[in-house]
Amino acid sequence: MKLARRTPPIVAPAHADAARTLAFLADLSQAFAVSLDLRKTLSEAVNRIAAFMQAEAASLFLLDPVTRVLECRICVGPVDLTGVRLAIGQGVVGLAVAENATQVVADAASDPRVWRAGDEGSGFVTRSLLCAPLSTAVGPIGALEVVNRRDGTAFSAEDAEMLRLIAAPTALAINNARMANDLLEQQRMKREFDLARRLQKSLLPKRRRDGFPIVGVNLPAHEISGDFYDYFELADGRIGFVVGDISGKGLDAALLMVRAASLLRWAGKDGVAPGAWLARANDELCETMHDGRFVCALVGYCDRAGNKVQFAGAGFPPVLVYRRSAFDEYESGGPPLGIMAGIPFDQHEVELNGGALYAFSDGATDVRDASGQRLGSEGVRALIARHATAAPDTRVRALLSDLKRLKLVDDTTLLLIEEPRAHDAQVLLEHHLPARAENLRDMRNALRATLDHLGIEPALRDRLVLAVDEACANIIRHAYGAQGHGGIGLRLSRTDDVLSFELTDDAPCVDPGAIRPKPLGECRAGGLGVALIDTVMDAWHVEPGTGRSGNRLVLRKRIEDKGFT
Amino acid sequence: MSGIECEERDGIVLIRLRGEVDLSWSQQVRHAVLEALEKNPAVGVELSEVSYIDSSGIAALVEGFQSARSRGSRFALVAVSDAVRAVLELARLDRVFLIVADPAAVAGV
Repeated sequence: MKLARRTPPIVAPAHADAARTLAFLADLSQAFAVSLDLRKTLSEAVNRIAAFMQAEAASLFLLDPVTRVLECRICVGPVDLTGVRLAIGQGVVGLAVAENATQVVADAASDPRVWRAGDEGSGFVTRSLLCAPLSTAVGPIGALEVVNRRDGTAFSAEDAEMLRLIAAPTALAINNARMANDLLEQQRMKREFDLARRLQKSLLPKRRRDGFPIVGVNLPAHEISGDFYDYFELADGRIGFVVGDISGKGLDAALLMVRAASLLRWAGKDGVAPGAWLARANDELCETMHDGRFVCALVGYCDRAGNKVQFAGAGFPPVLVYRRSAFDEYESGGPPLGIMAGIPFDQHEVELNGGALYAFSDGATDVRDASGQRLGSEGVRALIARHATAAPDTRVRALLSDLKRLKLVDDTTLLLIEEPRAHDAQVLLEHHLPARAENLRDMRNALRATLDHLGIEPALRDRLVLAVDEACANIIRHAYGAQGHGGIGLRLSRTDDVLSFELTDDAPCVDPGAIRPKPLGECRAGGLGVALIDTVMDAWHVEPGTGRSGNRLVLRKRIEDKGFT
Repeated sequence: MSGIECEERDGIVLIRLRGEVDLSWSQQVRHAVLEALEKNPAVGVELSEVSYIDSSGIAALVEGFQSARSRGSRFALVAVSDAVRAVLELARLDRVFLIVADPAAVAGV
């Protein structure tokens, strides 16, 4: 018998002195601390633990965090248990984990806790055993077991305490290694997400500036967007456009988005009517999608002049047309794509006549304001009206900036269609000042003179100067802060009857959400500047500068005829 | 020229501000106002020669108002110029402050 040969000739008392225990614990902790290969170190450690505890066998079980099954990973002794699986609560090992408490079995033969299958057919007889859980802050991650004292006596309470002490650095080492692995996994996933995001961005069409009637923007709420937009030119001169919103979030929504985007583009390439275009894409998607996902979409065409627009929606929020201070709303023409095949989609045909068409993906009306209320269609209308005077590029950015400020809760995509106009901005003043308070006075003088020259009546002039001064003061105090050195560029331009005051700086990017006015009339110092800007100007927004740092703050004011003297 | 002058007359401290009150020296205004309120039961800020005031200047006056209220002192804005009044109205603070035409009226507050 194997066992008879292995019995050591001399057996020291198991309850060794404290110094010996401490020395062993220190050695063990040290071995874990310097370990580069935890598996190898653990295997050596279990051998040393068996020797230190004067046990015939020792084993280490780890709990699979997903399946919640305990598996023997390391085993020393005459019987190889490696790979043996136990449920939580099963056997002494399972009990140690279930109760998160050390188990002492003095007489295995009569103890109901003992799982005996391990002994069967091996010739090994379990007489006495000890098992300590590997405890961590989030519960046990496994257990450490020693079997049979070599001197034939039963394990004592002191032995149990010793094993409990040994289990602590072992659990710590395993936990640390797992966390390091998790970190690596997270980094790997982040790289994959970055790739997916870049792939998605590459699918969005390039911005067109040459009198093109469509501007699109997409602001993903998470790392990966489920939204997309696209536009393309047909041979007959019309421009086809698509806005889509995939149900769900994350990587699989993103992958579906890639497929839906190419499918929708393909389905509209030959200039088929928007209703038929959606029906075609719907049938195709229904054939392949069965996992409960769906796609909301808006497709259509507009002429080069940005006047005649034909479109159809599938589960898409109403399209808004803003024309001469009034809104028209156009409902979706059918349910989302990918749910039921063979259904028709209604389409609309509108003439913008100088107005603008806004297609927001679902995200826009989902945006919450500071009190947690959904912005809704009314809120979106108010934002559109507020920024209506801005040139298209500036307008979509301003709308997005506002939505961001209002705490975005979903992807947001916006497609704007309007007649391309030569929005010739006439630059009236360019002034640069070092970002220090003593330079504000010169800026005010320059601005005052320009506004006088323009014929702005004095009361309005003073308010505009005040608002710009407050904006500069905020840049000096908050954007640059105490240690900041840099400049502020002020550019005043006029487009039709709208004055734009553009302030650029090189300060670290500010969070637009952090800029909040306090209610006027409230008697306390601070926060007043933003409130004054709000009151004086029609609209303002902050966006990141074009460089690596810096901000661009744009304040706008429409000057009525009576504003000019 | 911008500047601060303080004078005491008939138990009233009058702080006279001149020029454009902005971020570059509004802290001095704040200190002057708070210091005067520490030592005197009645303080007036004379603003007839102020051609511009920004929110940091207004904030200094608001702090003076609050300090006076907590001490039970008298605090008033005196001979407010049109430029200052326009900003007070814009900030809807024109009814918060006591505004008097004559320094002598501060004592009667």
